[in-house]
Amino acid sequence: MIRTSGLTKRVPTSEGELTILEDIDLHIENGERVAIVGASGSGKSTLLGLMAGLDTATSGEIWLHGRKLSAMGEEQRALLRAQAVGFVFQTFQLLPSLTALENVMLPIELKGDSGAGEKARDLLGRVGLADRWHHYPNQLSGGEQQRVAIARAFATNAPILFADEPTGNLDTATGGKVIDILFELNREFDTTLVLVTHDERLAHQCDRMIKLAAGRIAGEESRVEAAHA
Amino acid sequence: MPEASGLQSLFTVAWRLMWRDWRGGELRLLFFALVLAVTSVTGIALFTDRLERALLLESANMLAADRVLHSPEPPPGEINAEAVRRGFRTASTLSFTSMAFSDTGNMLVAAKAVSDAYPLRGEVITTMQPFTRGAPVAHGPPPGEVWLESRVLPALGLAVGDRVFVGETELTLGAVIIAEPDRGQGGIVDNAGPRLMLHMDDVAATNVIQLGSRVSYRSLFSHDDFDRLDEFEQWVRDSFDGNYYIRDVREESEEVAEALDRAEGYLLLGSLFAVLLAGLAIALGARRYSERHYDYVAILKTLGCTSRRISSIYLLIQLQLAAMAVLLGSGLGYLVHEGILRALRASLQVDLPPPGAQPYLVGALTAFICLLAFALPPLLALRETPPLRVLRKDLTQTRFSDRIPYAFGIAGSIFLILWYSQDLVLTSLLVLGVAGAGLLLSLVSLLFLASSGSAGMKAGNAWKLAMTAVRRRRRHNVLQVMVFAVTIMSLLILGLLRTDLIADWQAQLPEDTPNLFMMNVTGAQVEDIEAFFAENEVDANAFYPLVSARVRTVNGAEPEPAEEAADGEGGGSLLENNQLEPADSADAATGSGESADAEGRRVRGRLSRRQVTWSNELPPDNRVTLGEWWGDASRPGFVSIDEEYADWLDLEIGDILEFEINQQFVSAEIANFRSVRWDNMQPNFFIIFSPGTIDHLGATFLSTVRLESGQKLLLNDLIRQFPTIVVVEVDALIEQIQTIISQVTSAIELIFALVLVAGALVLLACVSASLDERFHENAILRTLGAGRKLILTSLLIEFSFIGAVAGVIATLGAEGGLFYLQEQVFEQDFQLHYWVWLAGPALGTAIIAALGVNSTRKVVNTSPLTVLRRVV
Ligand SMILES: Nc1ncnc2c1ncn2[C@@H]1O[C@H](COP(=O)(O)OP(=O)(O)OP(=O)(O)O)[C@@H](O)[C@H]1O
Ligand SMILES: [Mg+2]
Repeated sequence: MIRTSGLTKRVPTSEGELTILEDIDLHIENGERVAIVGASGSGKSTLLGLMAGLDTATSGEIWLHGRKLSAMGEEQRALLRAQAVGFVFQTFQLLPSLTALENVMLPIELKGDSGAGEKARDLLGRVGLADRWHHYPNQLSGGEQQRVAIARAFATNAPILFADEPTGNLDTATGGKVIDILFELNREFDTTLVLVTHDERLAHQCDRMIKLAAGRIAGEESRVEAAHA
Repeated sequence: MPEASGLQSLFTVAWRLMWRDWRGGELRLLFFALVLAVTSVTGIALFTDRLERALLLESANMLAADRVLHSPEPPPGEINAEAVRRGFRTASTLSFTSMAFSDTGNMLVAAKAVSDAYPLRGEVITTMQPFTRGAPVAHGPPPGEVWLESRVLPALGLAVGDRVFVGETELTLGAVIIAEPDRGQGGIVDNAGPRLMLHMDDVAATNVIQLGSRVSYRSLFSHDDFDRLDEFEQWVRDSFDGNYYIRDVREESEEVAEALDRAEGYLLLGSLFAVLLAGLAIALGARRYSERHYDYVAILKTLGCTSRRISSIYLLIQLQLAAMAVLLGSGLGYLVHEGILRALRASLQVDLPPPGAQPYLVGALTAFICLLAFALPPLLALRETPPLRVLRKDLTQTRFSDRIPYAFGIAGSIFLILWYSQDLVLTSLLVLGVAGAGLLLSLVSLLFLASSGSAGMKAGNAWKLAMTAVRRRRRHNVLQVMVFAVTIMSLLILGLLRTDLIADWQAQLPEDTPNLFMMNVTGAQVEDIEAFFAENEVDANAFYPLVSARVRTVNGAEPEPAEEAADGEGGGSLLENNQLEPADSADAATGSGESADAEGRRVRGRLSRRQVTWSNELPPDNRVTLGEWWGDASRPGFVSIDEEYADWLDLEIGDILEFEINQQFVSAEIANFRSVRWDNMQPNFFIIFSPGTIDHLGATFLSTVRLESGQKLLLNDLIRQFPTIVVVEVDALIEQIQTIISQVTSAIELIFALVLVAGALVLLACVSASLDERFHENAILRTLGAGRKLILTSLLIEFSFIGAVAGVIATLGAEGGLFYLQEQVFEQDFQLHYWVWLAGPALGTAIIAALGVNSTRKVVNTSPLTVLRRVV
């Protein structure tokens, strides 16, 4: 479960304070798939970063996985991320010096769990890269890199997954494939998914869509029918 | 999660990251820098450690022992017993003057009785025929024999095997003595005439030693462990309340001490530059490494890594890296030192003792300290990277990284210099100097780089491109220019020092350095002696008045010498060692005293007599360090003091000193301090008066002369004609100093060359490190349609410009550094090197441009796509 109340983010700039997000109230249930849409610059990434505890809010409250983020320090938030949160980014964010396999193993090892290699191999197989495990990121295409990133996001069985425009750097067909894998794993692991996108089609596959405009919630749309892959 | 598995996983991750970074080349620069640091420091330390020990051992030959104790009567038996208990080798000698008789004549000789174990260090050189070369033996004469110096044989009509009478006993002439290791150290009784050596057991039978005879006992001690010697020295000092001291060769001879100090100073300089360059390389490598890792850390953080674990991971990586570098570097260092030895085999005549473990420790510690000081701060700054960076690339931490690493680096450097030089004054001066220069240099380079924009507006595209690049990367380039400048500066300083210092040092002891000191010459004899030498076609030098003086009070109060015996007092120069009056440490040691006051005796015992002179002219190689030399406009009542002696007594210009000279008291005001080149083997004085101050107090005269080995027989005539004068032969001393100089100069040449290589490697690394920053940008330029030629030319211009700026700054720095080193540290005259003002900038431009262009080919020959793909 993720909840925010009165969430506001302002940053100081040379022209004075800039309000990026203002008074955001959100409630995302366990297992729910939520899309955050909006024009470029509307504050989507900022909101995602705040909910995932990557950044701190100027005011307002955030609860993530039953913990109140504003009351926690960066170290505690990191530990919470290790347990409960997975990420997929537009720019993949794989470690360039590690192989595909090692990239997927990394969060498992950091968590101190055993059987990292086996599990990572398994996940790479699920995203269709079983035979590419020993390749380095710069030997993989964008779509392949993103699939590795997705495998990594599910490696620790995190109950919550944040994705920031996971298809932003990919062509439509590849993007579609990546999204299919993402949704499939999401369903299988029963994770909560928060997906930032400006792709309306993609957003419609989610249970709910939250529209952001100029840092405020401009509307919500629920889909009763489950998304069909 | 369980702690153990957490720790284990941390190790796994750290190990893998390191290994992968290594494979990808990210860590190579840092590793290379660390290995360079360990290799150069260990190699140089191994070599200098062995060379210094060898020189010290070699110099110990001059004492025939590692430590000696002088006394005018047999020293307490406990001292010898304690030495034996501590596992020392011991021997003793007894010097006295006596007449030696043959069947045909007699002659006053300087007799020396030696025990079985004599000499503990060095060898006696003997022969069967006088005036021949002879061969070394490791012992003195056995009981029943005497050995005589060559010139005695013709004078007494003797040949080996003849009978010689000493006092009431008859001995056999067993050999001719050509040289003995400690000939120069005996003092006045050893210079009363040619040498006669006999066994200690025969002394009683001669019956020449009576109560009140002028005799000199020397106890010799030797041990291979230098620390044990120091402990023993301390024990003697403590146990006998300062009445007995044992002294080493540095304390025995101001001349050798200075040569050794100078040698150590030069060698130290080599290591200091090696560390400096290694530190630079490590700083560069670490900075680049950490810059590359901001993204890593941000990703690790989103994956739930806490800052603490990030620190641990990077700490582990560094430690693993350092451990490997130390292993590899120590091995390479050993090879380097072997290489130096091999290269120097021809010129190294001293036997090098085996190396200890210390140099390896020094190398390893240097690596870890450099790492701690230069590499850890930027790496620890990584932990401050905000995880949000995964969403917004432009976010870097600013809180920590800017100043703290510099502070760490500076603190680390200070520590290293201090540790190396063990000299607080030198360190603080050096640090202040470098800090000042650094500040100035960064200002200058910033100005240069800032002004570059307006420099070439009309010069076409490549020029413009280059200059905008220079200006845009201004802040970053300042660091780079600084690194280039410091490296080139080090190269210039070492190159110039090598020639200047060594030439100056070697010039100290030219071929015609006098090897004979004549003392106790009366005013009436001066002219006759001059005539004697003119007759025999020997060039005589000027006569100095000489009188023995002791400082009684400073500004009316008892002098308070510093506790630790500094060079100023600890040492005895050639003149003091051969003065006619018994040394004060000796007359205090007799304890026979009219002055029962123990305190007074202690101070008096410490403040020995000094051989002083007066003069209008500053003696050659002396430099006035404070105050002014009186010159021809001198007035009586002033005195000039050696600066180390002044330090030791905490004197200041204008202080009034009261001296006791020949039972009379004279006061004089301190007009100036001087630095003295003790190792030039000219008459040198701790204290010089202005003319008219002590002229009436009954001085004798001193002069020097050079006698070639073929002219040594003249000595017999000289002594026969002027039986009252004291003649001191200093060939051994000169030879000792020449050995030190020749050994060290060739070593220094090689070490400096090594450091030059290290510097060149640093330059290379720096260029290649700075290059891949330009890769990405140039790839983009090329996708935008810029031609290869444009990019190449622009890079060439950019590098040449940076090189030129670095060269100018390096030249400024080098001349400043040389000025400081020559004037302040090595006491020489500094002169501007005009050609360097051209060569420095030219060198900078050429090297950096050449290295840059060589590597740029890679930039333009790599397809832009590959580059863009690589840097995500
Ligand atoms: N640290 C910051 N300093 C200044 N402005 C910021 C900062 N962070 C975000 N902004 C601004 O806030 C606004 C929202 O940024 P954000 O990255 O959240 O937008 P977005 O909705 O993700 O846009 P896009 O779809 O283009 O990714 C932008 O105008 C951005 O410039
Ligand atoms: Mg965004």
